[in-house]
Amino acid sequence: MTSTSIDTARARPAAGTLARVRTTRLQAIGEPNLWALGGALAFGCVMVVGFLLLVLWNGVTTFWPRPVVVVTTTDGARLAGEPFRSEVYRPGPEVLATLDEATRRRIAAAGGLAGRDLYRTGNFDVYSEDFRWVSDYAVASTAMPSGLMFVERLEWGPFIGTIRGVTVDGRAMPELKDDPRALAAAHDVARARWRQIRHIERDLIGDVNHELEAERLNVRRVALRYGDGTPEHVAALARFAERETALQADYARLAADAQGLKETDGHTQITLAEIGGAEKTINLSAVVRMYPANDLGVAQKLGVYLSRWGEFVSDEPREANTEGGVLPAIFGTFVMTLLLVVVVAPFGVVTALYLREYARQGRLVSIVRISVNNLAGVPSIVYGVFGLGFFAYVLGGGIDSLFFPERLPNPTFGTGGILWAALTLALLTVPVVIVATEEALAAVPRSMREGSLACGASKWQTIRRIVLPRAMPGIMTGVILAMARGAGEVAPLMLVGVVKLAPDLPLDGYFPYFHLERSFMHLGFHIFDVGFQSRNSEAGKPMVFVTTLLLIGLVFAMNISAVVIRNRLKRKFAGSQF
Amino acid sequence: MVALAVDDVRPNETVYHVKRGTEGTALAIRDFCLWYGAAKALHEVSLTVERGLVTALIGPSGCGKSTLLRSLNRMNDLIDGLRTSGTVEFDGRDIYDPRVDVIALRKRMGMVFQKPNPFPMSIFENVVYPLRVDGVRDRRILEETVERGLKSAALWDEVKDRLHESALGMSGGQQQRLCIARAIAGDPEVLLMDEPCSALDPIATAKIEELIDDLSGRYTIIIVTHNMQQAARVSDNTAFMYLGRLIEYGETEAIFTNPKLDQTRDYVTGRFG
Repeated sequence: MTSTSIDTARARPAAGTLARVRTTRLQAIGEPNLWALGGALAFGCVMVVGFLLLVLWNGVTTFWPRPVVVVTTTDGARLAGEPFRSEVYRPGPEVLATLDEATRRRIAAAGGLAGRDLYRTGNFDVYSEDFRWVSDYAVASTAMPSGLMFVERLEWGPFIGTIRGVTVDGRAMPELKDDPRALAAAHDVARARWRQIRHIERDLIGDVNHELEAERLNVRRVALRYGDGTPEHVAALARFAERETALQADYARLAADAQGLKETDGHTQITLAEIGGAEKTINLSAVVRMYPANDLGVAQKLGVYLSRWGEFVSDEPREANTEGGVLPAIFGTFVMTLLLVVVVAPFGVVTALYLREYARQGRLVSIVRISVNNLAGVPSIVYGVFGLGFFAYVLGGGIDSLFFPERLPNPTFGTGGILWAALTLALLTVPVVIVATEEALAAVPRSMREGSLACGASKWQTIRRIVLPRAMPGIMTGVILAMARGAGEVAPLMLVGVVKLAPDLPLDGYFPYFHLERSFMHLGFHIFDVGFQSRNSEAGKPMVFVTTLLLIGLVFAMNISAVVIRNRLKRKFAGSQF
Repeated sequence: MVALAVDDVRPNETVYHVKRGTEGTALAIRDFCLWYGAAKALHEVSLTVERGLVTALIGPSGCGKSTLLRSLNRMNDLIDGLRTSGTVEFDGRDIYDPRVDVIALRKRMGMVFQKPNPFPMSIFENVVYPLRVDGVRDRRILEETVERGLKSAALWDEVKDRLHESALGMSGGQQQRLCIARAIAGDPEVLLMDEPCSALDPIATAKIEELIDDLSGRYTIIIVTHNMQQAARVSDNTAFMYLGRLIEYGETEAIFTNPKLDQTRDYVTGRFG
């Protein structure tokens, strides 16, 4: 048949250029399937790339300072705000009834639809709202006047308006209003003072509290060991009383220092006025950042942009996580993922080694293998429940009663913490490592093992010197997959240690420096919290994108470094056997 | 082509006309049978391997010659469901005695495989691998071993300037000679070679054969080969196997020029197999 078609094609070269003569059955040809296969791949790629572009664009643009628009509505009211987004909507009949005839006709001509813009007006303390919709038909005019300030504050969100006056150390200094450089200098001084107050309140008083707690626990420990009223207990109590007096004195001194600074700070204030004229006076130190929104050049905008990113990645969150930074969440995610890898890699590899190299391949091993594979399909929240029940309550409770009885009933390890979260995720991701390791072990050529055994190496020596190094790239791939899965997992973490706001990092200056029992913040949970649990979901939306971008970036960076390590290993074993 | 029917293979009627060495017997195999699960792969094989001589195992594919070779250092232990009967005496002790230390046994028998299988390490580390697993750390001993091993394997001049480069960068023939150097680095008594030239070109093959010639006398060598000329060239005694049985075992020259059995003649002259 085939030969016939070739002959035909030869016989009629002219026809061959027009259409190929096919005698093979269509089902036997793979090309039509190729379209489906390629199409599926292209669809997948488009989805992934589209998603990444969406996150990237929204995340990257969020911190770019936008102009402030002053809108004058037809009824004469004015509002100032950042244009946030626009949409087309269908005004209800009760709204239409309030409009004049011409507007109504225009809306009807547009099919009953009208446009509207959402403005971020800020000034929540004055307006009781952050955002306002303005319908297109209600707009009389818009303008972008200079002199309008966008002021980011520690509390109440941003303020949009003008500066009415500045008081420095109790003296009114109206000239600062028009002198940005001098104002910035005064602002820097106020911020430095604010940081000092925070240092005293958080770090120094924190030290005193920490020491006091240690002393209290010491007394409790002595009481538990020797019993109440014993000479040891009495001695400890006496020592505690002595230390307590000293520490209370320290505390009083520090509190007085802080109070004094606060009073000084209260004499440096800024008075702002919103577009309608309502005034608001706040401490200058409560201003995080301010800029004249409509008077910025590109370089200044870039400055604001970078300063916002800097704050985001290096500061703590404020305003119910919708503002400030996410440093604790970055740190928590990173440390937890590292812990996860440290636990899951050896555990998974050892398990797979036994399954593949030592266990007698039979029905039992098959069952174990199938079970391990199926573990990967268990909903992650189930692992969360298990982690809470077993790790936190059983294991942690046991550790508490053994090692920290003096702290009870306050749990130390007996509640969610970064260690339990890492262990739970390790359990969740261990099947990935086991499967990958088993495959990598199986792919080590038999000739390598035999060569080693024939040299008089024991089985263990063969595994350690020949098999494991050869399988290492494959094992690393499994660990990378496990890491990626673990870093992106949120649901189980909500049960075993992630919190909305963790004041203390898992790593700090107090012995033993690395606190495995502490609850922590996580970027994934932060996204959920900011996007769906906060008072101000509209303001949280851009933060969701930025945090998502950061989480993807973090996971990506960790994966890339693991891939680099793997490739380095691979290169070491590169080269064919011939 | 004269095909041999199974009936033509007469059990336990091996014909022997073995050339004796001057140093006695290295290995004595008696009534050795081997089963893979239910399939019997070796049928009552009995033969003695002379110390210091080269013994070739020939026969068509699947006749059990590799299985027999791998039984000698118990490499077959790795296979699940393997059973043996009979004895293989090495220095007067049955190596299938449960009390035998298999690892110690393998250290006394170097093995070279069909495909070169250098480890993904440097040339140096490949050669000293048997010493490394014994925990030898002394730099001087290791260096001496490498030099001696590579010189014995006729590889020293080619690689002495790149001992610390990866062994995977060598040619196939060099890799196989490296494997021989590795096999003799642990100072074994017996060298088992499982078709060591089947993956090599004629020039590399000639080098290996030359090497086997050099090594004979110092080591007892057992070589499995498909290449009649090779067996004729390098060996002192040749064992012809067919369908798991040892058919004829005798002096190489006699096997190739004047075999006692027609079966052997048919095989070595290429009329079947």
